[in-house]
Amino acid sequence: MRRGALLALLAFPALAVRAQADWKKEFEEVCSKTQDAMSLGLVELRSLIGRCETLKPQIDALGPSEKKVYGKRLQACRDLYAYVLQSREKG
Amino acid sequence: MIQQILACALGAAFGITGPAHQYGQVILDAGTHKAGVPAVAFDHWRHRARFTCRLCHVDVGFAMERGATHISASTNRDGFHCGACHNGKTELEGKAIFAACSGSRTLVASCRRCHGGGSDKSREDYAALQLPRGSFGEVDWERAEAQGKVRPLDALEGVSIPRRALKMDRDVHIESQGAWMTDVKFSHKKHAIWNGCEVCHPEIFPSTKAGPVKFTMFQIAEGQSCGACHGKVAFPLAYCDRCHTKPVQFR
Repeated sequence: MRRGALLALLAFPALAVRAQADWKKEFEEVCSKTQDAMSLGLVELRSLIGRCETLKPQIDALGPSEKKVYGKRLQACRDLYAYVLQSREKG
Repeated sequence: MIQQILACALGAAFGITGPAHQYGQVILDAGTHKAGVPAVAFDHWRHRARFTCRLCHVDVGFAMERGATHISASTNRDGFHCGACHNGKTELEGKAIFAACSGSRTLVASCRRCHGGGSDKSREDYAALQLPRGSFGEVDWERAEAQGKVRPLDALEGVSIPRRALKMDRDVHIESQGAWMTDVKFSHKKHAIWNGCEVCHPEIFPSTKAGPVKFTMFQIAEGQSCGACHGKVAFPLAYCDRCHTKPVQFR
């Protein structure tokens, strides 16, 4: 029992680091395409918007500073993709 | 004669009324009173000479709307907002940039570099800038860049996402509603040099799905659309012919 608790305690920081790396990697992948937004296809734009929406709860669960900054950055990405998609669908 | 009178009137209405070193200055006071510290007088010119608009307004996450960023001492100390650069470690021009928000309970000298910073220092530093100026004494950033006098950084290690430079050179023709004023040729290329798409879209320039967005010079002067930057930080609205690209003349 004590050994299990010790293992869990040791594993927790590693899991936390892993979770941090996962959301950040996904954030960087999703938001790295804003400069190319105008050349993306409708399917890709919809996929990127979906990925932004999936990522949002993970960012909302971060500490206050990270949530504030990355939440705003993610929203700007998502809104841009939605803007381009809307313009495309119109055209 | 009519054109000269018009130019004078436009200069008075849309030029810079205060001292040039305060053009683009943003008073950051949301939360400072509660924290018991003086407001921050943020000089755009000091930062603009070194960083692109995109770096701060996209990568660092400063909102375009006043008060919407929610900067706090703790976000700065955590390495965000001002603290993304002002952390005592990031180097610029061979020197570490001073750290923001030490966490001191009392207002020490280092706090005053931003909080209640002296206007004299700002004026002196501005006067010493060796950069081309416009008619109102403001820095002409477009000329400064064309002459190679400023080379603003567009990425910050650990903050910016690696991405290729924005290539957007489509001009947008904006028809003038005034019979006496020529049309605007909006250059995406000029704006994309220092900005990313998400600086302007969709927050400042929303989707045109419901039809073309119409805005007047009065709305722009109030800070809407082009006025989000022009008349506040980017060149003042008095330079009609920088946007209305043909010479202003009565039709």
